[in-house]
Amino acid sequence: MHITLTSFSSAQKLFSLSQESGKNAAKYFINTYPKYFQKDYAQPHIPCLMPETLEAQIEEVSEAALIERIHMRKVEAAVDLYDQLQQAGTPVSLDVTNQLLDLICFYGDSDPAQENVPKQRKNTLSYHKRTPCLVFSFRENNNAERIFALLSEPNTHSYSALIRGMVKYCAYSKAFSTYTDLLNNRLKADVNTFNALITAAPEVKEKYNEKWELIVDLLKEMAEQKVKPNLLTLNAVLKALRHCGTLGKSQAFPVISEMKALSIGPLKTHSHAFPIMLCSAGCCFMVTHFRMARDPVYHLYLQCLDTKDIEQAYRVHELLGVGENWRLLGKDLQQNIYYARFFSLLCMMENIDVMLKWYRDLVPSVYYPSSNIMRDLLQALDTDNRLDLIPQIWKDIKQLGHANRQKLVEDLLTLMAREKQNQEESFAECALDIKKMYDTGDRGKVIMSWTATSLSDIISVLLAAQRRQDAWEILKLFKTHNRVPSEELLNKFLMCIMESGEVNHAVELVQISAGFCLPETPKLIQRVQQEFQLSEQQK
Amino acid sequence: IVSSQLFPAACFRNIHCTAACLKNRAARIRVGKGDKSVTYEQAYHPHHIGHRKGWLSQHTSNLQGEDGAAERVVEDVFIRRFMYGTFHGCLADEVVIKRRGNLLVICAVMIQKLLPSKFYFLIGYTEELLSHFYKCPVKIEMQTVEEKVVYKYL
Repeated sequence: MHITLTSFSSAQKLFSLSQESGKNAAKYFINTYPKYFQKDYAQPHIPCLMPETLEAQIEEVSEAALIERIHMRKVEAAVDLYDQLQQAGTPVSLDVTNQLLDLICFYGDSDPAQENVPKQRKNTLSYHKRTPCLVFSFRENNNAERIFALLSEPNTHSYSALIRGMVKYCAYSKAFSTYTDLLNNRLKADVNTFNALITAAPEVKEKYNEKWELIVDLLKEMAEQKVKPNLLTLNAVLKALRHCGTLGKSQAFPVISEMKALSIGPLKTHSHAFPIMLCSAGCCFMVTHFRMARDPVYHLYLQCLDTKDIEQAYRVHELLGVGENWRLLGKDLQQNIYYARFFSLLCMMENIDVMLKWYRDLVPSVYYPSSNIMRDLLQALDTDNRLDLIPQIWKDIKQLGHANRQKLVEDLLTLMAREKQNQEESFAECALDIKKMYDTGDRGKVIMSWTATSLSDIISVLLAAQRRQDAWEILKLFKTHNRVPSEELLNKFLMCIMESGEVNHAVELVQISAGFCLPETPKLIQRVQQEFQLSEQQK
Repeated sequence: IVSSQLFPAACFRNIHCTAACLKNRAARIRVGKGDKSVTYEQAYHPHHIGHRKGWLSQHTSNLQGEDGAAERVVEDVFIRRFMYGTFHGCLADEVVIKRRGNLLVICAVMIQKLLPSKFYFLIGYTEELLSHFYKCPVKIEMQTVEEKVVYKYL
């Protein structure tokens, strides 16, 4: 029982997803029946191979139980327990309350959803939209605010937790009013609070310059309170600038230079990317292309492509080798886009040897090129006159599953037919292979249809390799598929036949062309009569 | 094993009560009419192990000074039954179990009875479940053939 998938990359994705779902099935069993998996053979103990304990251990109403539930991320249970503790009159320490506030604000007052969906799906879904406001929006009398109100002396941490929760769940104006409360209580905010407020700033004001002024105010206050900005601050400012339109673009440059002056962040992804960005055609591009803080890599590529800068492209590719930057490359879709752009840039700009070196390095270990990329590659081969590599490329095309893409195959045939060098044998093999591709129509495979050009190309290739018999069969296909052969094709055929001296074939050729009512039939007849000794019947 | 004491002078009589397992009938397929297909593994008898056959289970606990042989045997039996049941009807030949350090490698040859994606699902499931069960990393190396490879007919 065979199944042919359209390409290697889809097969790879399918198989890795099925393996992942098998693992999830096993995990379900392990966590549902943990008593069978308790016996510990391993010395030293391997905690990740034990079943997960999802139930809280400590039952009594105490602070330790609260801490445990916070660790296990059980939001609702923790809140209940806190209420019970309050009612019983036990004082809960500020630290623990702060942790509880953090928990609530992070998970939005409800338990985190169980992860049943395989990881790939979630990312692709949420990728292209700006993450819309999450389902939970800060309700009027929710637990976070309630518990906060119960605190006798909230400290910086509590305010920070509350403000960040509000910003995360789109309650922006509330966040700012809480911030004012904090200032009124003469407390200092920490860097995380400021980051959250900067992210929230564009949502609170209408006009671009008001937004920018608010951000500047926040930064000034940060400086006053002697809070050092960090990498996340930079990210937040840039993200916010994205919403500020043209004003944002002009402000981005000075922001970055200031941040560089403060030497924000170690050799992390973003700060590494910036020097490169600054070298290239203006960093206005950067702000507009910085769509998601996590996937700037192929946006850099978009930019490189616009400017056709191959050096830039190489530098960005090297960036990927540094430290953790490979994570920037994202999941399959983004990876494909990145490599597709890289290859098309290479095909355009570099000569064929370099291109082939990259091709052999990356394909198929890292990337399965699409049929468009293969067409670009063929064009590059053509430009550099390396058409002798076509048989190898054809093998690769077959392996990648692109052998039934009409455009690609037609391009290949045209190139082969044009080439008049000594590669005839191998070209002829390829041509016959391609013919088989047209014929076999397995269920599920896309069937290609013959065109006049593709038929003529195949015939010319076969004739060049002196394979008259095969060429003859293909000539017959013209009739079956309702295509008309061209004049030069028939002439070429006639020349071949004259070389071989097959009179019958010549007559048949004339009959075929007469069957198509081609205008040059009389000329053909003349030539045949001239060249050959025809018997009476054949006349 | 039952012991009975007839006299206080400690006279013991032991009764062996497992099923009869003759050593000259185990793992031997007898010659028949000629219609029974037999794989290479099945065709050669246990005295050919080491000469014409390899070992189905490879571990170091049978060396001098090493312990744990009995536990390995029990694990092997469990793993073979598990594989037989999980990949039901797909096994073309016996499962080979190799232990390298902590790692447990299960090498199986399967008939292409299921879709590849289903095979991958079962592989993921088996690896995860057995790793959690035996508290050691388990890897499956699988190979598929179109049909059972017949060595001869007996």
